[in-house]
Amino acid sequence: MSSEAFAYPFLFLTIFFESFLLITFLSTPARASRKRAASKKTPKVAIIVPCWDEETTVGGTIESLLALDYPREKLDLILVDDGSTDGTFAAMNRFAGNPQVMILQKENGGKHTAVNLGIAHAKDAELIGCLDADSFVEPQALREIIACFDEKEVMAATASMAVHQPRTILQRVQYIEYLLGIAMRHIFSITNSIYVTPGPFSFYRTQVFNEIGLFRHAHLTEDMEMALRMQRAGYRIENAIHARVYTKAPATLRKLFKQRVRWTTGFLRNVLYDYRDLIGNRRHGVLGLIILPISLISVVFGVFMFGTSVARAGQDLVHTIGTTSGIPFTYIVTNHSFGWFYLPYSTTFFLNGILVAIILSLIIMGKRVSRTPGRLMPDIVLYIFVYGLISPLWLITSVADVARGAKNMWR
Amino acid sequence: MSLSTRNALIALGMTVLIIATVTYAVGYLDRLRLTEIETMQNTISTETLSLETQFSLLEAAPCENAASSTTLSSELADLGNRLSYAEDQLGSTNVQVVQLKKQYYLLQIRDYLITKKLAAACRVKPVIVLYFYSNANDCKDCDKAGYALSYLRDTYPSLRVYSFDYDFDLGALKTLIAVSKIERPLPVFVINGKQTSGFTSLLDLEKQFPKGALATTSSER
Repeated sequence: MSSEAFAYPFLFLTIFFESFLLITFLSTPARASRKRAASKKTPKVAIIVPCWDEETTVGGTIESLLALDYPREKLDLILVDDGSTDGTFAAMNRFAGNPQVMILQKENGGKHTAVNLGIAHAKDAELIGCLDADSFVEPQALREIIACFDEKEVMAATASMAVHQPRTILQRVQYIEYLLGIAMRHIFSITNSIYVTPGPFSFYRTQVFNEIGLFRHAHLTEDMEMALRMQRAGYRIENAIHARVYTKAPATLRKLFKQRVRWTTGFLRNVLYDYRDLIGNRRHGVLGLIILPISLISVVFGVFMFGTSVARAGQDLVHTIGTTSGIPFTYIVTNHSFGWFYLPYSTTFFLNGILVAIILSLIIMGKRVSRTPGRLMPDIVLYIFVYGLISPLWLITSVADVARGAKNMWR
Repeated sequence: MSLSTRNALIALGMTVLIIATVTYAVGYLDRLRLTEIETMQNTISTETLSLETQFSLLEAAPCENAASSTTLSSELADLGNRLSYAEDQLGSTNVQVVQLKKQYYLLQIRDYLITKKLAAACRVKPVIVLYFYSNANDCKDCDKAGYALSYLRDTYPSLRVYSFDYDFDLGALKTLIAVSKIERPLPVFVINGKQTSGFTSLLDLEKQFPKGALATTSSER
């Protein structure tokens, strides 16, 4: 059976999935959620900033938090230095005199231990949030987040995360990818299917930690594990699409690769080992029946399709070299038939085109509804061509790492 | 019905609709492709018939039409390229492709016969190549040989290359194979009546051609 025949069931699933996302995005509850105004309520909030070797960015992170449009007496910042080896602690100490700021220092034990220490010190807060020390918030972000908690059943809320000042090609590709992420998180929130509460500016009711416990190591993806644990407990996780937060994206392929392998192996290990009961579970609705199964299939299929495409391209190359050997190069290069007749269309070609079109529309809508600044062109073109080439690298490595039980590192 | 269930059902309907539309559109484009080939084939067939009729009417070769015969051959080559592409896309067992291939082979054989008649009667010396290949995985050099011949045909307009799938089920082709005494192993070339088999390189293939045959200008007259 050809690889194209294997592709059809996956294409069917993917078109179904993307159509579902699109329809949910256009549904009445999604429209209502986009109209939600920033809150005027001011519950007591603590924001924890776990830091490990972030001397260059932590200052900006804290300054953006101090600039939040929120009463000072209702907002505590808890900065936790998780055994940094650079000047992070000194950078944090610049804010030592500020009554809103509490600075803690501990031996390195992993991000989850730093956040947990912060939670232990946030005793009178109604809401506890986190912000990675390489991220920056807009002044209105907290009020947008707090509006989500107007509904009693909402136990956590996530923000709209964008890339901070994308410069390199890889950062610009990630800028587009994050816009898609904004749209997806917004849609997932409508069906209560969010399975990651990202480090940059996710908030929890304090009772969450009392009821289901603190953060865990969770295969280096503590934010995903916490969201999955909340989903298992039947909690609701919301998304504040107008709460904008910007994070530094990896600038080099090596750093991006490492980050994505950590994310993907974390996803696979959490879902396959620790939260397998959620998959296909009707009690967890769209998350259990659609999102987790399709996300898992996507990883496996991505690896399979990349493998078969590379093998096929290799075969074609060997065949072409063999067939054309001895023929003048100018003939080989110029001997191509043109016209509509020779268009290499096929069913999979068109279906893939439709998939790309839906993804592009989600990216554009993600940008528009979140009002994220920045340009779409030509980065969106870069995204289409570059992302498909590089993402299989970490998918393959992640599947291999999980299969052989390899340990992954944070950086 | 919950919002999610309703959305999932609509998405399912959309998916079926999208796939059905794409399948229909691809089928429609494929039919257009085949129609184009058929139209080309009909045109060439009519012109070939016209030449043959002139032969009969004049009871001799219409030598002033030798040039138009050359044009016909290049059109035939273009038709062959299109048919080969359609065969790659739709598969060699597609009923329409098989039917078009039969007609194409018949046209090639008729053109081959007319070219021979014109050559004899009008004292022209075209270089005629009959090329027999196989798609049955028993001819590892056929792709290389086919590409080399395409290069020669495109580079030297006076060359007339007629390519045939050795295993294709067509009476006229089987007769041509029998009278030309073509036997495996393939590929087999019949260059101006002289038969050679196997393919090593373009250089070796060029050596099989008569001296001066591979000139960039036509040497028919």
